[in-house]
Amino acid sequence: MLDQSNPAAALRFVSWIVWKIPSRRPMKMAGFSHTEAGSSLDMMDAAEEATRPDLRKKFFRHALDEFRHARLFSERARALSAGAQVADVLEDSEYAASHGIRGETSLYKSLGETEFLAFVWMHERQGAKQFDIYSDLMKHDPPSSAMFAEICRDEEFHVEYSKRELDRIETAGRKPEVDKAVRRLRIRGAREAFLRMSHGFGNMMAGIWLLAVYVLVFGPVTFLARKSAQVGGFIATPGSLARARAEAGVQG
Amino acid sequence: MSIYVLGISAQFHDAAAVLVRDGEIVAAAAEERFSRVKHDSGLPFRAARWCLAHEGITVGDLAHVVFHEKPLRKFERLLITQIQTFPKSIDAFRRTAFAWFPDKLWVRSSLAKGLKIDARKVIFSDHHLSHAASSFYTSPFSESAVLTVDGVGEWASTVLFDATEKGIERLAEVHFPHSIGLVYSAFTAYLGFQVNDGEAKVMGLASYGEPRYTDEVRRVLRSRGKDGFDVDLSYVTYHYSATKSFSSKLETLFGPARAPEGKLDVTTPEGRKYADIAASLQVVTEDAVVELANTLYERTGRENLCLAGGVALNSVINARLTTRTPFKRVFVHPAPGDDGCAAGAALWAYHEVEGGKRGPALTRPGLGASWSHEEIGKLLSDLETPKDELADEDTVIARAVDDLVEGKAVGWFHGRFEWGPRSLGHRSILADPRQPGMNDRINKKIKFREQFRPFAPAVLAGHESNYFELAPGTELLTPWMLGVTPVKEEAKSLLPATTHVDGSSRVQVVTENANPLFHRLLGAFGKATGHPVLLNTSFNLKGEPIVSSPLQALRTFYSSELDVLYLGRFRLPNTAIGRHFYA
Repeated sequence: MLDQSNPAAALRFVSWIVWKIPSRRPMKMAGFSHTEAGSSLDMMDAAEEATRPDLRKKFFRHALDEFRHARLFSERARALSAGAQVADVLEDSEYAASHGIRGETSLYKSLGETEFLAFVWMHERQGAKQFDIYSDLMKHDPPSSAMFAEICRDEEFHVEYSKRELDRIETAGRKPEVDKAVRRLRIRGAREAFLRMSHGFGNMMAGIWLLAVYVLVFGPVTFLARKSAQVGGFIATPGSLARARAEAGVQG
Repeated sequence: MSIYVLGISAQFHDAAAVLVRDGEIVAAAAEERFSRVKHDSGLPFRAARWCLAHEGITVGDLAHVVFHEKPLRKFERLLITQIQTFPKSIDAFRRTAFAWFPDKLWVRSSLAKGLKIDARKVIFSDHHLSHAASSFYTSPFSESAVLTVDGVGEWASTVLFDATEKGIERLAEVHFPHSIGLVYSAFTAYLGFQVNDGEAKVMGLASYGEPRYTDEVRRVLRSRGKDGFDVDLSYVTYHYSATKSFSSKLETLFGPARAPEGKLDVTTPEGRKYADIAASLQVVTEDAVVELANTLYERTGRENLCLAGGVALNSVINARLTTRTPFKRVFVHPAPGDDGCAAGAALWAYHEVEGGKRGPALTRPGLGASWSHEEIGKLLSDLETPKDELADEDTVIARAVDDLVEGKAVGWFHGRFEWGPRSLGHRSILADPRQPGMNDRINKKIKFREQFRPFAPAVLAGHESNYFELAPGTELLTPWMLGVTPVKEEAKSLLPATTHVDGSSRVQVVTENANPLFHRLLGAFGKATGHPVLLNTSFNLKGEPIVSSPLQALRTFYSSELDVLYLGRFRLPNTAIGRHFYA
């Protein structure tokens, strides 16, 4: 929800720090590639599920744009670095799931049409601002700068159509619904930021506890355990047929 | 009253749900087809709900929901291995704890909650037993030896079974970390490809090389004759690392690993060397599987062999088993990887827990979702997509043949999507295999994938012997595109786009029963050209799941340089107006 609360100067400063380090750029672009691919999937779901033909068409075009952006980011990330780290991120097929981009229920279904449109409007507006700044900051790298400018133009279309749809809903006498959707999204954004921070802290604490368990519990018994290490070759399994049936109800 | 069992595989890669009715698979889908996350490993609720909806039943109608493995036994293996490899396993332990404590340990309750079913109905098979059941109970055999070879299940990585009408009896097994599948994956990573995805690329790359390094590979994967095999663990790290699968000692043996997904040019000395290593790995893996199969034959004396597990996706090995072992016939389930475990778990529970009568053999690949002509028409109208609505299937066939003969790359979307990782004529990209350069064009402009990746031919049943040297006993592999076979010398120049560099092809033989419309298309193409063979590759872009819905087909169509798309009875040109329609 930076579109309202963060001044452009702060955004520019943060972006400058992010893009200042050349080695971070390809990783950042690889991450963007996945984010755009995830957005493409969200827009595809919306195009599958929306009932209004004109809206389906806009969502589909939006999905095509996001997919193209994902490919542009991926190609640029590879062009800037042949490093293993970037390839690992780009080839990580679990990235979308592990970064929470996709859920079991589509974003369109879980938010509903009005809130989904508000979500698109707010996020695309934020994206357009960001990519405009990135295009400017990356002037020393013309292909990257041009890519950001191109993507920014698409984002402006996304902002425009989603705003037009929200205006249409407001004009139809449903302004409170739009206001409520925007409010809910801001609260949701703040809650997600809090959860991300809590999750990070929780992971750090859990990591410390796990390290203690690992050292204090695993360490002393490792020599005993090594004696029972698997040696390879066949192991006989008598009576397996009856055992498999008898143990169908158990997990271990 | 029918007995319904729902099989579930998940939590490692390729999650899937399969619904079995009275011993027959009636609905089957990998979760990735719905979530669009390649190799999606999460519990497959979307796929499971679709299976139930397709059959028009509710969870109340299910006798069991069967998970494909024993999660606690797998957790035990992870912890014991991490204790044994202390302190190198610190990162793997942290990852295990984060993945298992909040999530993977609670499969029964997660499935019960997600599917809204009584937890007592959730039962558990065993990973390799699920693999074995997937192959045996969908084969036409009443008794068979069964060999399962993959990365790892609970503890086992390789299992020998004897399957009869009484059930599937486990004879012997090899335990983790000794694993043919994981050694293949370690080399996959060494060769710069992604583990659990790039193994097929290694197989394709192998054809460009000479097996000059077999002695070196045999130092890693060691035969023990009739006692199976073991792995020299100093060359691998997969038993204690979650992020790297080979050690620096492997790089000392073979030289530096290739940069992940970097450009690979097999005409350079460096590229050639990696191809030689891939070829050597292929030879050693094949020898190891052949040795296991021979041991299994000695123990069972059966004439038939069923194969399953990820290693059974190695179509080169599959096709050689009848010539290098005494087995007369070989069958591989169309989804031999972990997705197929969902089918096996359900079939095992139906036959061996419920005591159900043996179901029919699997003969049709289309077990996924489909869309009606009206649904597709509504979508295309809503999107105002340029299209021709064709009068009937005869017109579809006639126009498609014209397009193919003109050298167009055709998107082909018809009926229910396929079960398993192969496109078999329901969600396919098709082209004329007689056209030189067609493979390069599809790799570069349509699928955006590596130049060395080969394409498969689909041939009208009854004509396969005109083009391919099929080994006896492999006829049950060819409907599923699971056997690589030499192309006849005189056919190599006829089919340049589907003949791999080593003169082989992973052929699909198409019968009328398996896919009537695709069968007719091949017949009509044969009449027009004299050769009823088409290049058939999966309808997806690199790194993506195969398309399932019409909208996904459209997105792929407009994001590539495919020339024309057949969506049921609609023909869509990717003309300038089409391609830039949304731009």
